[in-house]
Amino acid sequence: MNELDVVLASRVRLARNYEDLPFDLGEKPDSAAMCVARTVQALRLEENAPAYDLVRLRELTPLQRQSLAESRRISRDLMSHAAAAAVLLREEEALSIMMNEEDHLRIQAVSQGLNLGEAAEKCFRAEDSLSRHVTFAFDDQLGYLTACPTNTGTGMRASLLMHLPMLTLCKQMGNVGQIVAKVGLTIHGVYGEGSEALGNLYQVSNQVTLGRTEQELISAVTAVGHQLIDMERTLRDKALANGRVTLEDSVYRAWGLMNHARLMPKKEFFAHWSNLRLGAAVKLLSVPLERVDALLTDCQDAHLCAWEEAALEGAALDQARAKRARMMLAG
Amino acid sequence: MLCEECKVNEASYTISVMVGGEITSRHLCGDCMAKMNMDIASGNIKSLLSTILSAITGDTAPVSAGQEVVCPRCHMTLGEFTRTGHLGCPKCYEAFREQLQPMLLQIHGRVQHAGRRPLSTAEDQRKRTAAETLQRQMEQAVALEDFETAAQLRDQLRALSAGGEGKA
Repeated sequence: MNELDVVLASRVRLARNYEDLPFDLGEKPDSAAMCVARTVQALRLEENAPAYDLVRLRELTPLQRQSLAESRRISRDLMSHAAAAAVLLREEEALSIMMNEEDHLRIQAVSQGLNLGEAAEKCFRAEDSLSRHVTFAFDDQLGYLTACPTNTGTGMRASLLMHLPMLTLCKQMGNVGQIVAKVGLTIHGVYGEGSEALGNLYQVSNQVTLGRTEQELISAVTAVGHQLIDMERTLRDKALANGRVTLEDSVYRAWGLMNHARLMPKKEFFAHWSNLRLGAAVKLLSVPLERVDALLTDCQDAHLCAWEEAALEGAALDQARAKRARMMLAG
Repeated sequence: MLCEECKVNEASYTISVMVGGEITSRHLCGDCMAKMNMDIASGNIKSLLSTILSAITGDTAPVSAGQEVVCPRCHMTLGEFTRTGHLGCPKCYEAFREQLQPMLLQIHGRVQHAGRRPLSTAEDQRKRTAAETLQRQMEQAVALEDFETAAQLRDQLRALSAGGEGKA
């Protein structure tokens, strides 16, 4: 269920701003402190308030910040606002309330597989808790007001983290981009520079935020998600039927290297990871998908440094990555 | 013609923006076009926004001091917004409403919010959501020529707007 063979996770993010504070609080420490204090206070006023952990980014080391971003608990943008930024974390629900990023608040929740509805509900509950006690900038015609007009309206970005190795291999991503753009959505690689998509991992999300309800946006992203899942699965089935040995060879080579290599540079890791996940998804490998997905986070730089308790660089990092992958795959 | 962005190189690209049936154009050189494409690919939409806004407002030169539109609360000028693509505070939406409307239409295709509202208008929100759902269902029923269902939905919609309880 939840289409885990193709979709790793669903994420919903709501942008909200306080009516009386200026945007971009990076250079305005008083207003930035007010934004954090007000948010924390509003959540405390709630009866039976769920517990959140407050983390101020300036109190973390750069590696600790990066680690939060690698786990997708905070955005990369929040790191660039580290002086003023803070986040309220609720680990059980994979819920984060980021403060003083581009907007005052970015409420974000993640759910496993294809389940944007659940992720959205988590965000809405957190938003309701806040809005019982504070006033968000809202305009009858334009909806929620945001620092950048690309987010105005619902302020909502609903996105799917998808693994599309066969669509990439068959050079279909150009077509996919066109299909996606036609319905007001966007797709881009998650890891790598520019148009690169390391690990064949893509994020599909809504581009427009104004004039459609949250439900309509979620339905649109989910519908396109299903379409891409069908396309990807069809190609996987074809490869299993017509080119099984080629597919098996890629998957088992990746399995061999991930289980035995002693140095694993990042780009190479992503390539093998992709084949490993494909192998697990089509049941050529018996390793659980959850474990393959955990590798993705745990083999990134800041996580490796935390694991080895050292600020690793270069070959030492590649060595730690190889070691971590071997250990995790061995179970 | 010189590139309207760098004002150094010869312009070799034209970006056309259609707003309300009228097409306005900006002329860019290869370098500025490539820079903008790279920005878009890397998710930086600011330069695209500023290009669109410049095309819409029809002028890349800053408005002379006497005419500059300024937000009364944060004192951001329209020129600053055009350059950065970011607003200064929520009040800017009011100050620059006239210039923002075509831009928002260009980005989102619509300029009337639909969906959630702050809780202070929660009851209002519930009714609106119900009415929007009924309206859409009715339009679908009409499209499918299911006029009996459409009539029932219309009655529910009327009851809702008269203050009664919708069944949706």
